Amino acid sequence: MNRKLRIAIVPGEVCGGCDMAFVDLHKHLVDVIGVADIVFWPIATDFKEEDIEALDNIDIAFFQGSIRTEKQKHLVESIAKKAKIKVAFGACACFGGVPSLADLYALGEVIREVYFESPSTRNDEKVVPGETIDNPYGIVAPKLVDMNYKVDDFVDIDIYMPGCPPPKEKILEAVDLLVRYFEGRADIEKGTVIAGVKTICDECPREKPEKIIIDRFKRIHEVKIDPNKCFLAQGIVCLGIATRSGCGLPCIKANMPCRGCMGPAPNVYDVGAKLVSAIASLVEIENEPKLSDEEIAKKARTVTDPAGLFYRFTLGLSRLIRVVKKK
Amino acid sequence: MEKRKKSQGSWEPKIIAFLCKYCASAGADLAGVSRFKYPANILPITVPCSGSVDMQFVVRAFEMGADGVLIGGCHTPSDCHFLRGNFKALKRVALMKEMLKQMGIDPRRLRLEWISATEGKKFAEVTKEFVEEIKKLGPLGGNHE
Repeated sequence: MNRKLRIAIVPGEVCGGCDMAFVDLHKHLVDVIGVADIVFWPIATDFKEEDIEALDNIDIAFFQGSIRTEKQKHLVESIAKKAKIKVAFGACACFGGVPSLADLYALGEVIREVYFESPSTRNDEKVVPGETIDNPYGIVAPKLVDMNYKVDDFVDIDIYMPGCPPPKEKILEAVDLLVRYFEGRADIEKGTVIAGVKTICDECPREKPEKIIIDRFKRIHEVKIDPNKCFLAQGIVCLGIATRSGCGLPCIKANMPCRGCMGPAPNVYDVGAKLVSAIASLVEIENEPKLSDEEIAKKARTVTDPAGLFYRFTLGLSRLIRVVKKK
Repeated sequence: MEKRKKSQGSWEPKIIAFLCKYCASAGADLAGVSRFKYPANILPITVPCSGSVDMQFVVRAFEMGADGVLIGGCHTPSDCHFLRGNFKALKRVALMKEMLKQMGIDPRRLRLEWISATEGKKFAEVTKEFVEEIKKLGPLGGNHE
């Protein structure tokens, strides 16, 4: 290809981890810079709002983070108009990510907690989002939108790259695909997901017993975790059963259960409900007929914080939250 | 399913019932044959076993406008045609209710009942009671419950 690709990296509600994922490419970053010019990347280069208006001819826009404020929405929408290929980069952009967990509460409750009541907050001027703070620069804290949105609620996304952050191998795979696309050697189907097509369990090397026998669910600090045995068989909730593969299993290898940052596996309709079905039915299989209904139900309820656990990265995909918030 | 109108007053609750083929669905049939009266708000769906009711079905029902979901299965411990299906339903519903509570949906909107093939009367009573309860709770969604 005789010209360089023009890349924009657009932040929404981000923690910076996705930017780190780019930096983490190490020597491969040189290869990426070899084929691409980064025309917009606020965390690494200096950009003002006027520059966004002047930008044009963007080949690829990587959207990072979910959309929580009006300003983020405006930024994402205005860049999306100018970009040929739009990529949702990271779990927040794809599924709402951890910030979406705030949607378990009403917006007023969230603002009250974050701006007034949390022990580490000091807000003497009683400023809330959307108000101008008395300062020499005229800075306005942007207004919040009614809930935490994933990027494809506003923008048509061509490529999804799940993960928190997306693994290095998958970023290189995506860059390779994009280069071939712009050279006319490959096609990109709308909604391509750069990840595996199976579940984490399919790739997990841990020893899985024929039958899982557990009397209750435990949290990770309550047990000494056997590094070679399936987490579920040890009574620890692991989301590998309904999570997409392709991450390279860093958590499993570090002896921590899967938390689902790669998002739901293909054909999962609602990830939280699917996990409730799969996980709850594991408990006390042996002694079922000997126990009363109430005792069994109590055992199933030993999963602590089911919504926060099962939807940790994917609450933005939850259909129930939209039923509650929107009707 | 037709999207529910928000206008109160004329509002009638919609309830989806997943009934297992061997007990609850047969019980519902018996209620019909015996001419027990029960409200028409309930839409029964026969499934092979209460243990085959994935909680994703419940999500889909709420999403499509149901205000309540009833799951009917065989009595524990030993009535289930597939031996342990009713226990699966029991455990799933217990955890699902916890999750619904966190998501701002009243857990009473999801109900699990054991109804045997001979309990036509119980089916009619459960339905009546459930419809009354949902009427008190009002339509699903709109505000954090």
